[in-house]
Amino acid sequence: MDYKYIEQLLESYFACTTTLQEEQILRSFFSQEDVPGHLAQYADLFNYETEAKAETLSEDFDERMMARIEAVEPKAKDMHRARIIKMTTHHFAPFFKAAAVVAMALTIGRAAEHAIGEQEAEENSKVMAVDPYIKASDVRQTIRVKDVSQAEMKAINDSIISLATEDEVQ
Amino acid sequence: MDFKHDILPLKNIIFRTALRIILNREEAEDIVQDTLMKLWERREELDRVENLEAFALTMARNLAIDRKEKMDNQHVSFDDEEHDRLDEGQGGADGTLMRQETTGFVASIINSLPEKQRTILQLRDIEGKNYKEIANVLSISESDVKVTLFRARNEMKEKILQKKSLFL
Repeated sequence: MDYKYIEQLLESYFACTTTLQEEQILRSFFSQEDVPGHLAQYADLFNYETEAKAETLSEDFDERMMARIEAVEPKAKDMHRARIIKMTTHHFAPFFKAAAVVAMALTIGRAAEHAIGEQEAEENSKVMAVDPYIKASDVRQTIRVKDVSQAEMKAINDSIISLATEDEVQ
Repeated sequence: MDFKHDILPLKNIIFRTALRIILNREEAEDIVQDTLMKLWERREELDRVENLEAFALTMARNLAIDRKEKMDNQHVSFDDEEHDRLDEGQGGADGTLMRQETTGFVASIINSLPEKQRTILQLRDIEGKNYKEIANVLSISESDVKVTLFRARNEMKEKILQKKSLFL
């Protein structure tokens, strides 16, 4: 068999004038079992090139990668679902805040009415200044019955505390 | 831009390229994770990137070079065991033990080349990329790619012929 073509390709390979297709021909040629003696010295080189292309990451890489992506952003796995959840919390948070404010106002109102019945106006304002914390806990309990989430509970607490603090300042 | 569909499939070419630079499998895997992570964080810009693979490889190469430098400065070199593992890992499924032993020699010559040469050799002779793509990844000219590849291939040839003459 005449190996002139392969010899020429080899020469071009080392001169960097081969095309990608010609380089593939060389790899295919050297992958066969019986390469003639004078060319055999190059077999390892081209066979290594073929083998090295098969190098891959370990199988559990994807799992680790996805865990890392999701740790930073839950969106990566299920963008759609995550967005809905996010929207829900965002949308309802103001309502819970508003509800807390209303409950607060009602409680204070009731306390005020009660106070007015028994005490004078001066004393009444004193009660209002001390009471909000107690009343706030009442509000918390009422809302807890409704089984709201922790995050929402915290939002409510924050708004109640800020209201209570305002009262105290007054 | 979808992570599993658009970014994750680049993992193995990034891995092989990073491995060729850093010569340590664990470090190379870390680089793949960091690269994919960065790509995902920058997904808004990626629609404007002409060649995502080249973009990813440039990123990975920069990370790998940085990390290799740090490792070399700290004298954290991998031992012979790591060397063996590296060479074994590169054996194909159909490769016989004999073949792996001899191609291991080729791996060690490539890995002893300067970084630019072995990265270009990796991208051209193993990944089958054209000169334009390689120039894009390394941010150099196509003629610079060719000149560097010429040096790398001829260094390989010389070492192979040296080895042959040792056995004769």
